[in-house]
Amino acid sequence: MKLRILAALWRLNVAEELQYRANLVASLLGTIFWIGTALLTLAVFFRHTTRLGDWDYWEVVVLLGVFNTLTGVIEAVLRPGIGRLAGEVKSGGLDLVLAKPVDAQGFVSFRRLDVWRLTDVVLGLALAGYALVRLHHVPTVAQLAAFGLALTAAVVVVYALWVALMSLAFWFVSVENLSVLFDAVYEGARYPVSAYPGALRFVFVYLIPIAWTTTIPASALTGRLEPGFALVAAAVAALAFALTRLLWRTALKRYSGASG
Amino acid sequence: MPAIVTAERLSKTFRVKVRDPGLKGALAALVRPRYRDVHAVRDVTFRIEPGEIVAFLGPNGAGKTTTLKMLTGLLYPTTGRVEVAGFVPWTGGRDFKRRIALVLGNRQQLVWDLPPEETFLLNRAIYDIAGAAYTERLAELVDLLDLRDVLEKPVRQLSLGERMKCELAAALLHHPPLLFLDEPTLGLDVTAQEAIRGFLSQYRERHGATVLLTSHYMQDVTALASRVLIINRGHLLYDGALDALVARIARIKRIELVLGPGDGVTAEMLAGFGTVKSFHFPNAVLEVRRDEAAATSARLLAALPVADLSIEDPPIEDVIRQAFAQGLGEDP
Repeated sequence: MKLRILAALWRLNVAEELQYRANLVASLLGTIFWIGTALLTLAVFFRHTTRLGDWDYWEVVVLLGVFNTLTGVIEAVLRPGIGRLAGEVKSGGLDLVLAKPVDAQGFVSFRRLDVWRLTDVVLGLALAGYALVRLHHVPTVAQLAAFGLALTAAVVVVYALWVALMSLAFWFVSVENLSVLFDAVYEGARYPVSAYPGALRFVFVYLIPIAWTTTIPASALTGRLEPGFALVAAAVAALAFALTRLLWRTALKRYSGASG
Repeated sequence: MPAIVTAERLSKTFRVKVRDPGLKGALAALVRPRYRDVHAVRDVTFRIEPGEIVAFLGPNGAGKTTTLKMLTGLLYPTTGRVEVAGFVPWTGGRDFKRRIALVLGNRQQLVWDLPPEETFLLNRAIYDIAGAAYTERLAELVDLLDLRDVLEKPVRQLSLGERMKCELAAALLHHPPLLFLDEPTLGLDVTAQEAIRGFLSQYRERHGATVLLTSHYMQDVTALASRVLIINRGHLLYDGALDALVARIARIKRIELVLGPGDGVTAEMLAGFGTVKSFHFPNAVLEVRRDEAAATSARLLAALPVADLSIEDPPIEDVIRQAFAQGLGEDP
């Protein structure tokens, strides 16, 4: 999708959102409350143990920060954008998008920017930074670069999961609550993948790749992983993106009745 | 000039799941789904020349919207060939989409919480419209649609009619040579309907655009379309001028009389000339056979004190309804 169109879309959304300044306060409060609850839950865990899947408390907080950052991306862009797809497939509203000379996947995915929800991104990164301080860990340049790459890959993987899930709407028309399914699965990304039993770990790494969204970036930042491993994360993200692109194309063909 | 729209033997068959009512039916459908073919459009052929305004008429579910979707590339036909503006719609991609506008009366592209101009600016980016061209086109549309007072209000505060005008403006900024309008006057009051109609015919005159529209309102059709395509149950029943259709279906004409002074005329006397539809002195409406209308009028004028007499076609709605009910099989 062309940057010009993206800029026009987001300018529009920001103008719209600025009318509702109360949303900023609501969003900030919501985030702070969420982080507080998450930390409290974590503290309860750690009263009974000193390690969670071989991670200590502040390492898991770094991961929580990453989780919250990704939540910000999801809430600001994905849920209000592609998250509405199922309803539009049902109502036929998608037709207006398909009649425009734009890449429909790009347009549907990035048409919204709920700017206030980006507070989650800022607060998430701040939380990860604070946890690093408590760990007395100063990341090297290589670790920071690896974190940046792995986090980007994580955003792509999360995006791919949304597209894959939402594309199902083309097959099963009355599935407007698909995003609930995402939320349920994505809850699993709140803890390091090593905390889960083997079978579940396999699922989260290879089938529903949420391990790549939080565990890998957090590990890169705390130095748990070789920085070079971020390249693997990038490859996983590229593969996930390519697969969902294919799925989207197939889904659109089905929508227009080209197949089946 | 070559046709701008060619549809040859176009058919669309949907495969839909059928299920019996009730929980038992739902379970049965889950375990062993049954399918039924729905023939939404069957073997439809027509051509549209550049600059024409053509109306699709038909009851709900007749296949109008399905046809429109195939012409705009949103649906693939099951069989048949389509060419629109030199493209096969579903493979034409962006170059094709730049040449058409699609307005759906029950869907909106305007951003709800912002003034319509924001949506226009978005479309300017989407269609890559140069600054000068944008300013000029917007000025023209604002003028023709009388949008001056509307541009800066949030869309949510606009009336339905104002919103539809803005939808049209948003859809026409890229100057498409071909407009597809699905129920553009749906739900609008009479004044707004007239404004939209006036705009469409003016716009076509200025820019020579071709317009395909579907509508439930006969006034839209009579005011705008030089030609109608009547679709019922997926079949194309009629393709041609509206008056020719009326002449073909309507076997009767209406003679409307205003009687002169004097009270000698009775309903019985009028019944001798034709079927009396209404009689409230001094007004009377008679229905007579189409081919006898002239002769009967002459006899009326000779026999009765007539102050005024006119021969009318029956209301177009009646004609169309009759077409759907009886088909267009034989000439009268």
